[in-house]
Amino acid sequence: MSEAALHIEDLVKRYPTGVEALRGVSLEIAPGELFGLLGPNGAGKSTLIHCTTGLAQPTSGAIEVFGHDAIKDYGKARQAVGLAPQELNIDWFLTVEETLDYHAGYFGMPKRERRERTKELLDTFSLTEKSDERTRTLSGGMKRRLILARAMMHRPRLLILDEPTAGVDVELRLELWHYMQRINQEGTTILLTTHYLEEAEQLCDRIAFINDGQIVGEGTSEELSGRYGVANLEDAYLALVGRNELSRSKIEAVS
Amino acid sequence: MSAAQIRFATLWRREVNRFMKIKKQTLGAPLLETFLYISVFGAALGTRIKQLHGIDYVVFVIPGLIMMSFSINAFSNNSSSILQQKFQGAIQDQLSSPASPLELLLAFTFGGFMRGLIVAGLTFIVASLLVDLPVDHILVLIPSLFLVGFFFSQLGVLTGVRAEQFDDVAFVQTFVLTPLIFLGGVFYSATLLPQPFETLTHFNPIYYMINLIRYGFVGFSEVSIALSLLALTAATAALFAINLRLFAKGYRLRA
Repeated sequence: MSEAALHIEDLVKRYPTGVEALRGVSLEIAPGELFGLLGPNGAGKSTLIHCTTGLAQPTSGAIEVFGHDAIKDYGKARQAVGLAPQELNIDWFLTVEETLDYHAGYFGMPKRERRERTKELLDTFSLTEKSDERTRTLSGGMKRRLILARAMMHRPRLLILDEPTAGVDVELRLELWHYMQRINQEGTTILLTTHYLEEAEQLCDRIAFINDGQIVGEGTSEELSGRYGVANLEDAYLALVGRNELSRSKIEAVS
Repeated sequence: MSAAQIRFATLWRREVNRFMKIKKQTLGAPLLETFLYISVFGAALGTRIKQLHGIDYVVFVIPGLIMMSFSINAFSNNSSSILQQKFQGAIQDQLSSPASPLELLLAFTFGGFMRGLIVAGLTFIVASLLVDLPVDHILVLIPSLFLVGFFFSQLGVLTGVRAEQFDDVAFVQTFVLTPLIFLGGVFYSATLLPQPFETLTHFNPIYYMINLIRYGFVGFSEVSIALSLLALTAATAALFAINLRLFAKGYRLRA
């Protein structure tokens, strides 16, 4: 049994259309890490997350969450994971409070605890005033907050955040950074996917680059930059995806 | 309550809550429709037809109307609820929870079952106030109603899971179920039909369901009660087995 928060071995996901989204991915995230998964659109980030959380079924390979097989022992594996997906997948019929309450119920949390946790997270994510509103009336930023609060409801040991800061304003992005760092320091392992490299650089202990369904680089921000002989993570990323010509160092400053 | 019980209760509560939030559409409209049928076929046509097989025409029709409201509401609730959640992506919240395929299937099933039961129950109460409606064979009536409700709940789940657009659900309801129900003898006795329509009616599975419910209420049936009960039980069990297999495989639910 693995001690890792997330252990993925030789994961392959082939869709019925024949598209191979993951081509033998292996990854290990230690408990307490804040791990960044970076890659271009369509690289396989969301498929990897979906395979881990039961939203997609792996073609082959192994996934373990805190030692629990994500396929054979899916109940315990999923209990340990909180997912804030990229899409704003909330039920329009429910109120904000119901969204959180039902989620915790799906994870077996008793009523009193659900009520207390809902109150706490509504407050944390500045949603208290919106608690009785139907989710469809919320702004994009509010929906993003709700999805994050929902992922945290059942106190997951591994929190998966799939592009949580995509399209959010500066204030919410920074709030989320602070929140991620705080819960990570309190012991929650975090897997973060993002397109913002400075975000990964600032927050993540280790980073993996995924491209075309394969992990093509892994290490700390410094290790990845050093390995490619470039100044920063962004240039390392561009080197990995073969687009060095886009480096900011080649853009002339406006005088 | 154990974690599994809380989980199942929450999954079910969500389904009931969905239709209770839109009562005008999910409970009010079907009740009005049934009331209109009773008015037209009972008050208007009933004065001309008087009796069928020695039973007042309006009393002959009401068991079929109760069966019709139970079945259509159970079906449409589940097919709409599942398709809607698939569209919104909100179903991912349940799918990434520790809930087993059986728990998910039963929760979706019982949502529609409850709605069908409420509409059928209210129809029965209203009909009992308007006419003298007997209940001759309660030991046939209760299992028959339960089986009819469960069968159409399962059919709704199957249709919702398979559907990719609302047109798919509407097709089954409008072009398959409604004709089968109307031609299954809700409003008339098959013995009144000329050949080959009388014989053709015997190939309509809903004909047997209507006869079971009618026998439960007024003690009259054109078919064997034991055989009809047996066939309905077998069909319901088969449909349940198919759905359980689809849920276990994640068919059109998990990528």
